[in-house]
Amino acid sequence: MSRQMGDNHRRFLQTMMSIGIVDDHGAKALYQHCCETHNVQCPPDRLDDFIETINSKLQPLFMQIRKGMSEDNGQEHYALVNMAQTDVTRMSSDYADNELELFKKTLELIVGSENGTVSSTDILNSTDSMTTKKLKKSETEHLLSRLVHDKWLNETKGEYTLSTRCIIEMEPYIRTMYQDQVSVCHICHTIVFQCQICENPICGIKIHNPCVARYFKGRAEPRCPACNDFWPHEIPEIRRPRSQSRR
Amino acid sequence: TSQVQRGLERLSTAQVDQRAAEVVQYILMKDQKKVPVRRTDLVKHVVKDYRNIYPEIMKRAARSFDQVFGLKLVEIDTKNHMYILINKLEYTEAASSISSPTNPKRALLFVILSVVFMKGGVVRENLIWNTLKKLRVDPGEKHEEFGDVKKLVTDEFVRQRYLEYVRIPHTEPIEYEFHWGQRADAEVSRAKILQFMGQLHEQDPQSWTQQYREAHSSPSSAQPSTSSQR
Amino acid sequence: GKEKASQLFAEGNAFDTATFAEHLLSFMGLNRLEDEEDEQQNERGADGYLPQDAWHRLARRTECCFRTAPTFHYMMGSFHAEPPPPKQRIE
Ligand SMILES: [Zn+2]
Ligand SMILES: [Zn+2]
Repeated sequence: MSRQMGDNHRRFLQTMMSIGIVDDHGAKALYQHCCETHNVQCPPDRLDDFIETINSKLQPLFMQIRKGMSEDNGQEHYALVNMAQTDVTRMSSDYADNELELFKKTLELIVGSENGTVSSTDILNSTDSMTTKKLKKSETEHLLSRLVHDKWLNETKGEYTLSTRCIIEMEPYIRTMYQDQVSVCHICHTIVFQCQICENPICGIKIHNPCVARYFKGRAEPRCPACNDFWPHEIPEIRRPRSQSRR
Repeated sequence: TSQVQRGLERLSTAQVDQRAAEVVQYILMKDQKKVPVRRTDLVKHVVKDYRNIYPEIMKRAARSFDQVFGLKLVEIDTKNHMYILINKLEYTEAASSISSPTNPKRALLFVILSVVFMKGGVVRENLIWNTLKKLRVDPGEKHEEFGDVKKLVTDEFVRQRYLEYVRIPHTEPIEYEFHWGQRADAEVSRAKILQFMGQLHEQDPQSWTQQYREAHSSPSSAQPSTSSQR
Repeated sequence: GKEKASQLFAEGNAFDTATFAEHLLSFMGLNRLEDEEDEQQNERGADGYLPQDAWHRLARRTECCFRTAPTFHYMMGSFHAEPPPPKQRIE
């Protein structure tokens, strides 16, 4: 099926290029804005069709607008991602080789952790084993703040997690590279980092915090959906995110 | 040409499209830093053994930029074969809930381009530095927003082809002057600059007679061009 | 010294960079110090300080003068995909 793109689609895509990721509220507002700007009808429930039209033209160019969930609040997001790994894509110069090595180490630390976080101290320590030019402490700190600014990492009180943008773009990569380390959420079946874990040692399933909130909502006694053991963790509230996109 | 014709006959459409897609990918990657793409690099890294049908590949890549992204692939330097991307869509205020990042370096660039344009197309560097100093930007000091200002202006903006930084012949000590670069010619609207000048100075843009004439005559000065679909 | 070009450009209105800079400072939200004799102070013109977002403010206003293509940034594919060292999970 070949649906034609119009300037409304192109404007949406261009905005995705400059912002990288948008939550579902923002995406709806942007969709409306793009259609109004170019005097095109925009049925409110047609956002996913609209994006599908863009994707049908983007995929031959190794790009895609992909949907995913925020591990923090469960909100749906759309990210513009690269799908190719070639000599050309590796020529990207946003980060230097040693900066990318440290990002990879950070990713490994997060994948290998229980709950998807790594402390700045552990990241700083991991520079000792760098094979490319070792980053100094100040350089590492500067790099980390750039990674947060560019929306590849999130940071709270010196603890780093993978951002929603990073998880959406890197999911296929993480699944293939870390097959035996990465876990999948028992509820939504996407990869999971920040989560609650079943304490039954022979079960040990992981569930995203927002998925926990939704799954156990209104249940008197929370039990593990896999082994039926008592679920001992505090059940988080469902967080209805404010209708504003992140800054 | 017939050579392209013959080359095409030996390849499937899918093969040619695939290579054109890689050209798109390469140009997008290079555009991250806004440095023009050279034909020699394109051939070396992407086009490779398809160089005999280079024009056809570029035609298809340009079509993708146009139809998918609303961008125009422009050869700014036909002698050295350098390409840039410019936007075909008219600028609009972003949707209210979307905060597109603003780039303060663009404002600095704007100031320099404006002065060069308003002064007739060429300006000695001292006038630029003095103007920037009035705006609290000292080329000799590290600026918290721009870092090394001198490097940004005479190196980064020059490599991106927004500015030309040319030595004035027979000056002692050595002096330089600024011109608009090829990218600025393709990407920046003199008419819109003049409009803002009018607003700032609270005067009619037409009162700068010469600049007004130039802004509304030169074809390359990024006049709003309606996207040509279909 | 005066620019040669500006003499060639004498027709119509002359363009004065000092005036331009003053207007820009106002546009960027310069907080002028309440100092009566600031007019004829140093060559920096009126003293005062620019707000944090001064250059962003100007960037936002002048964005419409540029027809710049947005840029595409990605993380996946920017480095070599080597499998991690054999797993040695710390239990
Ligand atoms: Zn889940
Ligand atoms: Zn269990």
